[in-house]
Amino acid sequence: MKVEYVTPFVAASMSVVQTLIGSTPARGQLSARPQVFTSQQVNIVCGITGDIEGQVIYGMSVITADKIASQMCGQPIVTFDQLAASAIAELGNMISGNSATLLSQQGYSVDITPPTIVKGTNVKITTLDIPALVIPIEITDIGQLEINVSLQERTKTLAA
Amino acid sequence: MANRILITDDALFMRVTLKNILNQNGYEVVGEAQNGLEAVKLYKELKPDLVTMDITMPEMDGLAALKEIRGIDPGAKVVMCSAMGQKNMVVEAIQSGAKDFIVKPFQPDRVLEAVKKLLAA
Repeated sequence: MKVEYVTPFVAASMSVVQTLIGSTPARGQLSARPQVFTSQQVNIVCGITGDIEGQVIYGMSVITADKIASQMCGQPIVTFDQLAASAIAELGNMISGNSATLLSQQGYSVDITPPTIVKGTNVKITTLDIPALVIPIEITDIGQLEINVSLQERTKTLAA
Repeated sequence: MANRILITDDALFMRVTLKNILNQNGYEVVGEAQNGLEAVKLYKELKPDLVTMDITMPEMDGLAALKEIRGIDPGAKVVMCSAMGQKNMVVEAIQSGAKDFIVKPFQPDRVLEAVKKLLAA
């Protein structure tokens, strides 16, 4: 997988978090991840289709999800209800959408699918034959948001 | 004063956020649609003064709904409100009759400015 696919997601995550939460996150180290991995407690799964396709999964702890949802909703989250889940899903949607815009500037035309939230510990996620690149971003007082990018160019899929 | 607004977004969070921003500033949210199909149906029923329209939604996306609504009412005021701001998407929306294109995440003022300007026109 090309690192150039990851860069827009990192840039979009930083700017979306900055706008929604009001603090500038710090970018962590990029690393590769095998096709099968254990999920975080809360995961937003976004599908990417078009010139490049696959999934991007935004993982975080329950505590981080609560804090992000609280900031987004402007009130503390007591129970992780439908509104909180929707806020977290929308975070994924905004990052993916903004990334799609950045990818279009590199000449890749992509679309995104509505996000899905996967909650629970010890869930094994398999991205089939596309390995993932992972970048953590650290948000002060909120926690870590882990971006798993697992994308490939469409022609490869067609040839397979 | 024209101030009746129909909100269209599949995310509950976005509907609540937009409703709060608009209500707190004297606008009346007359309906909330969760996809393009609902937006078209509610547009016919409610005849709102303005519609906010997400793009990525199940059932019918926002661009298709925009075209249908403009087909029903060529004077319809529709403001797109999407996480995707690709040039081709913005161009398609504007060519299809959208009056403005707001990229998420947005500041409340961005929404209020757009709504105020369009409802005064």
